[in-house]
Amino acid sequence: MKKFLIALTAPALLGLGLAAQTLSAPSSAVTRPVTAPSPASQRPAAMAAHQVAHTSTPMSLAEQTAVVKTYCVTCHSEARKVGGLSLAAFDPAEAGRAPDVAEKIIRKLTAGMMPPAGARRPDEATLVSLRDALITRIDTAAALRPNPGWRPFQRLTRAEYVRSIRDLLDLEVDVASYLPPDTITDGFDTVADGQTFSPALLDGYLRAASQISRLALGDRSASATTASYTVSGFQSQMGYIDGTPFGSRGGLAATHVFPADGTYRFTAKLVRTVSGELFGNTAVAMAASKELLEVTLNGDRVAVLEVHQGMSDADKGGLTIVTPPIHVKAGPQQLAVAFVARQSGPLDDLMTPIQNTLIDTRYGTGFGITSAPHLQDVAIGGPFEVTGVSETPSRRRIFTCRPTTASQEETCAATIVRTIATQAFRGTVRPEDFGDLMRVYYQGRKQDNFEGGLRLALQATLAHPRFLFRVEQRAPTAGTTRIADVELASRLSYFIWGTAPDSALLDTARAGRLATPALVAREVRRMLADPKAEALTSRFWSQWLRLQDVAKMRPDGLAFPYWDVALSEGFTRETQLFFEHLVREDRSLLEMLTADYSFVNERVARHYGIPNVVGPDFRKVQMPETRRAGILTQGSTLLLTSVADRTSPVQRGKWVMQVLLASPPPPPPPNIPAFEATKAVAAGRLLTVRERMEQHRNNPACNSCHRVIDPIGLALENFDVTGRYRIKDSGSPIDVTGELYDGTKVDGPIGLRDALLRRKESIMLSFTESLMTYALGRRIEDFDMPTVRKVIRDAAANDYKVSSFITGVATSPAFRMSAAAPTETADSRR
Amino acid sequence: MFITGKHLSRRTALKGLGVTVALPLLEAMVPAGAAAQALKGKPRLVCIENVHGAAGSTNFGIEKNLWSPAAVGRDFDLSAGSLQSLEPFRDYLTIVSNTDVAKAEAYSTAEIGGDHFRASAVFLTQSHPKQTQGSDVRAGVSIDQLFAGRFGQDTPVPSMQLCIENVDQSGGCEYGYSCVYMDMISWASPDQPLPMIQDPRAVFDQLFGLGATPEDRRRRRREDRSVLDTITAAVDRLKRELGVADKARLADYLDDVREIERRIQKVEAANSSGEERQLPNSPVGVPDSFDDHVKLMFDLQALAFASDITRVFSFKLSRDVSGRVFPGTGVNTGFHNASHHNENEERIKQFEKINRHHVSLIPYFLDRLKRTADGDATLLDNTVVMYGSPMGNPNLHNHKRCPLFFAGKGAGALRGGMHVKAAAGTPMANAFLTLLHGFGLDDLASFGDSTGELSLTSAGATTMAAGI
Repeated sequence: MKKFLIALTAPALLGLGLAAQTLSAPSSAVTRPVTAPSPASQRPAAMAAHQVAHTSTPMSLAEQTAVVKTYCVTCHSEARKVGGLSLAAFDPAEAGRAPDVAEKIIRKLTAGMMPPAGARRPDEATLVSLRDALITRIDTAAALRPNPGWRPFQRLTRAEYVRSIRDLLDLEVDVASYLPPDTITDGFDTVADGQTFSPALLDGYLRAASQISRLALGDRSASATTASYTVSGFQSQMGYIDGTPFGSRGGLAATHVFPADGTYRFTAKLVRTVSGELFGNTAVAMAASKELLEVTLNGDRVAVLEVHQGMSDADKGGLTIVTPPIHVKAGPQQLAVAFVARQSGPLDDLMTPIQNTLIDTRYGTGFGITSAPHLQDVAIGGPFEVTGVSETPSRRRIFTCRPTTASQEETCAATIVRTIATQAFRGTVRPEDFGDLMRVYYQGRKQDNFEGGLRLALQATLAHPRFLFRVEQRAPTAGTTRIADVELASRLSYFIWGTAPDSALLDTARAGRLATPALVAREVRRMLADPKAEALTSRFWSQWLRLQDVAKMRPDGLAFPYWDVALSEGFTRETQLFFEHLVREDRSLLEMLTADYSFVNERVARHYGIPNVVGPDFRKVQMPETRRAGILTQGSTLLLTSVADRTSPVQRGKWVMQVLLASPPPPPPPNIPAFEATKAVAAGRLLTVRERMEQHRNNPACNSCHRVIDPIGLALENFDVTGRYRIKDSGSPIDVTGELYDGTKVDGPIGLRDALLRRKESIMLSFTESLMTYALGRRIEDFDMPTVRKVIRDAAANDYKVSSFITGVATSPAFRMSAAAPTETADSRR
Repeated sequence: MFITGKHLSRRTALKGLGVTVALPLLEAMVPAGAAAQALKGKPRLVCIENVHGAAGSTNFGIEKNLWSPAAVGRDFDLSAGSLQSLEPFRDYLTIVSNTDVAKAEAYSTAEIGGDHFRASAVFLTQSHPKQTQGSDVRAGVSIDQLFAGRFGQDTPVPSMQLCIENVDQSGGCEYGYSCVYMDMISWASPDQPLPMIQDPRAVFDQLFGLGATPEDRRRRRREDRSVLDTITAAVDRLKRELGVADKARLADYLDDVREIERRIQKVEAANSSGEERQLPNSPVGVPDSFDDHVKLMFDLQALAFASDITRVFSFKLSRDVSGRVFPGTGVNTGFHNASHHNENEERIKQFEKINRHHVSLIPYFLDRLKRTADGDATLLDNTVVMYGSPMGNPNLHNHKRCPLFFAGKGAGALRGGMHVKAAAGTPMANAFLTLLHGFGLDDLASFGDSTGELSLTSAGATTMAAGI
């Protein structure tokens, strides 16, 4: 993980999009006072008083020009060009001709960032009037000549590929073993021009098609190979693990797809100490009964393996135990390998057993702390002696007909090939493509048999560009065009469900019932009610909040022994369920910050200090007083903005600025001392992170930016690296007070939340720009800003309900239409 | 921690590669010159790391020439020590003695004693690992990755990392070190160690494609070709429906299709040009015997070089504190215990037998490389096989006078037939820097803690100033 070095230069600050972008909801063209939306729960009474004024009085052109000349051009002159911007030639009347400049001004003014603190500035109302005048001019012009933008065709991302395979074949695949990772552009994997091609990618497609077609239909000629599942070395195995049989301890559970009916051998490898002995061997030695490892398939015990105390990796077999050959049927089966639990309840060690059990394996062979053997991985070898291929969910899905005579084969094959290709290609199979696939079928039929032919046709379908690429009709050479209905169905489906459209959606499209924004809005409502809409949280929200980074965090084991990977997984699940709740219940987006509830299981509840939550299932609970700031106080975001051995107010501040306020601070200049170079001890006492930060930004050049970034993060200092509540850091009381860049005093997470809510337009802007980036598969440009503002305005009128944003984006011209494609090929190259 | 997005990307990219290239295993060489013609003088690098130093790095061992021979220059005598089995390849051998791996030493009191948990990360990076058990691991870019950056990009797999012991244990190791330092020797960047593959089958699949038997792989190649035909036809039709910009994007894709077709053809041409033999199936699982496992890994590396699927391997032979006993050496003490010989001469000699046994596996590999034509030369002429350890005298856990030799000439990077004895205190990094310069990475001013070059082609124990 990168360390965010702490310093910024003063000039950098001026160019800093810092907390910019608060956008007012109404432009003066649509003058409508913004009523403070009232999220159902928890709205601090103080909030109303904090609202920034959003209404403005119209300002004449002469006045606008005068304001710019008087207050902006001093720094933003041709000669000085502070922040790389000159406004000397900027004419407010012609704002539409310089949208890049105008949008910059709008962002800074709404955020209250310009003119900067200390410079001469007019009253707030004047600046708001200027901004609104610019917005009106730009949005009015845009309404006359809307530009929906253009993007190259998209290819399926890994996540979309997995979901498409699931829909098509009722099969879960581990795509990471086939396809290279997706490129993330502007925060999202859907951005088309970041989706590059390479021989490695094509190779991955071919390999995936070959293997998945075999798994889906079963493989009578499958040769023995091994597949393995690993338990994280950061997973405690002292307790029960979800998915394993009750009464068991540790181990792992997985759904494995067996390629054929046949015999398989399961090889369990146990964790060793660094010197090669069995971890936990003292526990085995001292126990009255043997340590047993149980292998179950679909809940049935298929083998019990004995763990011996003397096992060592110097032995021939090492620390592995192998089952006898076990007959298993083809298709997905629930595999669990876990130890038989021999104790429950608290241990009476003098030193408390820890969650991070493998933090230092030496104690596993010593006395004084209770340990027990841990599973490292399980390898499934086979099939040996294939006996056939049983029915599987995939086969039931594929075989919509079964030929009973040779003469029926061809018709049946054509039916199956057409059905699968129609779904795989999202609605339409062209006759030529169908012909190609049938030719492949005949080839396989000739080599093998009916099923062999179908399998090869399936393989070709899965590697087919019409499956892998979401190609839309040719954009016009000039002007704009409406996306064809069936293609719009795909756009909607990948946006909301992260997968191909279902037949109902395709029927709707074919019947012309996506032709108008109102019809699209109606379909969006149906789609949001479908369970598949969870893709919005697991795909969009996860990427927006950077949740994928939670899994990469490994807090220092010695400093945070109460962390283990199950806690990180719990945090991620919590945040996902939280956003699923916002979508499903159509709550106000502001609850993201104001919610006094969240979703926890026993592990997370214990960490948060919430009593009476038992078991691995998540449920909605009221959060303690200290955690009523929505995602700001959820473990996921607190963990992902820390470094391994300490909190990072800089990372936390940066995350808030980048993700929530759409204003990332500029990167630090080179050659600055690392945080670690600060004094850790003074006057015989360990210094807190805050005190070390203060030393660190003594340099005025650093301070100019850090006084903006740090107070945000310092307000969250009550939460340690793992998101656990604390009142002391390094033994000294924690101070969470501070002053934000706009002068707002904050005092802990609730104060920070309220300060951010004052800037809620920034949050709405960040959210909407991100949602549009994800949905459109392209970067958001200046010409998109009128659309962004319209989506926010409409959502504001609807209490910022989540569905308003989704509908707003889905019904926007940018989503439903396409501009002319660029003619220069260079534009479309990677 | 190594579980970063970037890291995953590399690993999965590797996994996705090589599907269409299938070659028979073990005996199966590409018929001489067939696949290798295009590779005239393309250098390859294999970096083999062993742990626990060498008996020849003790005072007694130096005196008795248990590792490095007495004479410097061309006329060295290998008969006294661990390198004896390399005698048939002496013209290809560059022995570098007396260099230190100072970056593996303890830098603070908390680090004292943690040598076993930090040294492996130092060998190829010559950088000091940050003591942490968290995700904030840090060392340096390793030499194999610098090489891969220059030579690995033209091949389907830019580089590959292999190991013998079960080292894929993530979590905390001892002395406050993350296990990645102990388990991984290749670092793509200072915070990105690359995981190593122990299972020969996984190596095989990644290099040569899926399929257990030659027929199976042939069959899959045939299937891939029909699928590629379908793709080509579909892309041609698609192009007609699209605008200029999207067409250009598809044209890129067609290039990839042709590239994959070309690889398949290359393999099939090689297979049909004669000497295709019925060969063993791809391996299942990890061999029980250390020697068999190592040799199998060497087979795979020679095959990958011959078919130019990759040009860089790093190969971790063992794991620190391993208690493995090596049958056939006559030593019944485990590797780690034997390494703590208490400076007892008899016990040092016992330990030397283990060192000797490890080195004796190398000629098998060198022989394979020498028998394989590569352009106008042989693979051994174009490869450098590096073998060494970041530890010196394991009894003391010191990192002085560490074992190191190079075999092969690396397409001109080395001349061979040379024993270079460095001046006392010379960093091993100097030898690595010289090697990298020999490979043409001239813009590299330094490597790890290098202080300059160490000539690998003349015996003089000189250290030149950096930048010359």
